[in-house]
Amino acid sequence: MALRLLLFLWIAAAMLGGFLWAPLVTALGASTRVLYFHIPSAWITVLALGWSMLHSVQYLRTRRLDHDDQAAAAAELGVLFCIVAAVSGSLWAKAQWGSYWNWDPRETTIFFLLLIYGAYLALRSAIEGEEKRARLAAAYSVIAFVTVPFLVFVVPRLHATLHPSPILPQPGERGAMDPRIRICFLAMLAGFTALFFWILSLKVRLVRSERRARQESAAQS
Amino acid sequence: MPPNGSNSAAAVWAILRKECRSEWRTRYGLNAALLFAVSTLTSVSFVVGRLPDRTDLLAALLWVVLLFAALASLAHAFVREVEGRTLTLLRLVASPTAIALGKLLFNLLFLAVLEAVTVPLFLVLMGGPPVRWGPFLLILGLGSLALAATTTLVGAVVSQTRGRGALFAAVSLPLLMVVLAASVSGLRAQWDGNPVATEARLLAAYAAVVLGASLLLYDHLWED
Repeated sequence: MALRLLLFLWIAAAMLGGFLWAPLVTALGASTRVLYFHIPSAWITVLALGWSMLHSVQYLRTRRLDHDDQAAAAAELGVLFCIVAAVSGSLWAKAQWGSYWNWDPRETTIFFLLLIYGAYLALRSAIEGEEKRARLAAAYSVIAFVTVPFLVFVVPRLHATLHPSPILPQPGERGAMDPRIRICFLAMLAGFTALFFWILSLKVRLVRSERRARQESAAQS
Repeated sequence: MPPNGSNSAAAVWAILRKECRSEWRTRYGLNAALLFAVSTLTSVSFVVGRLPDRTDLLAALLWVVLLFAALASLAHAFVREVEGRTLTLLRLVASPTAIALGKLLFNLLFLAVLEAVTVPLFLVLMGGPPVRWGPFLLILGLGSLALAATTTLVGAVVSQTRGRGALFAAVSLPLLMVVLAASVSGLRAQWDGNPVATEARLLAAYAAVVLGASLLLYDHLWED
């Protein structure tokens, strides 16, 4: 309970800091603030995918349904954050580049991740039987995991990017972040990560108690 | 227990021959795929006309036609077993990996036949500039290998689900975006007189990685 409250206050404080305390980047204007939501969401999208795939591999090795619960819950949350990242990025692109969508490599990548999440969840919903669903979904997840990295090499060959550098410039370097922006941004990043793991644990607990309830009612009848 | 090396090579060969024979008996899959590919090609050619100098569009359209034809037909090899209820029997006589490799070779052959009809027709109908056959066939071949490796694995997964046909295309496509992008970029470079080595390496690496992962995964796919 106390941790939840702390998380709420933490994110609220970082958000207020981003709007009231941190300065704006001259070239970006008010659209600077998308940074506090867009980058953490994109980070969670990738984190959720990695988490989901790690647990898929673990499932294939150990055959414990706990791992499948983690993988499925992470994928569902990943979709949510992926949509937030795509929409916030698209709005920012409209403000800065003049169009909502132009298949920039990063837009392509985020769209591709959304497709993979969608395919994974569609696949899960079409399989009957817990064990079989876990097994096939994990196999698909592993294949997606080994093919995703290729996108990094191939997409820039088709379309050039205008996206700001994904790596934070060091202090003193050209294009470096104002320290106040950096603090708010890193606080949001930490806040989003904690938020993700908190919702994840809720979802996993929910799935487990549902399974237990099913087993108990099956045992009674 | 998986059979030893020579046994499994024989098993792969036997599966391939069995696939070809059962396909040849009905020719249902091949006919449907060829008709589908030619229909797609005709509609593309009809709506855009000839494109003698747009190599970027030619490369993209050719791969879209091939991809659609492949997605419409390549799940067939596994779905046929499930629908005919013959998969259990097949698994009694061969290891999952041998079955999958046999089906992969069959799918590759299937794609080759499909392309042997579609690609010349495409070049004639769209009126593109002359192709450099070496790089052209290299990209086409490696692209098909990557396509077949991915769709065979996805076909094995999807054949065990409800609503197989519709799901197959949706589930394969995110994995095939890389193949599509690299193949289109390679074909474009081929027409523009640029080297295609990067794309060829990329496609070969992709195919090798998917194939390697498949070999690890096939044993997990059928257990019940």
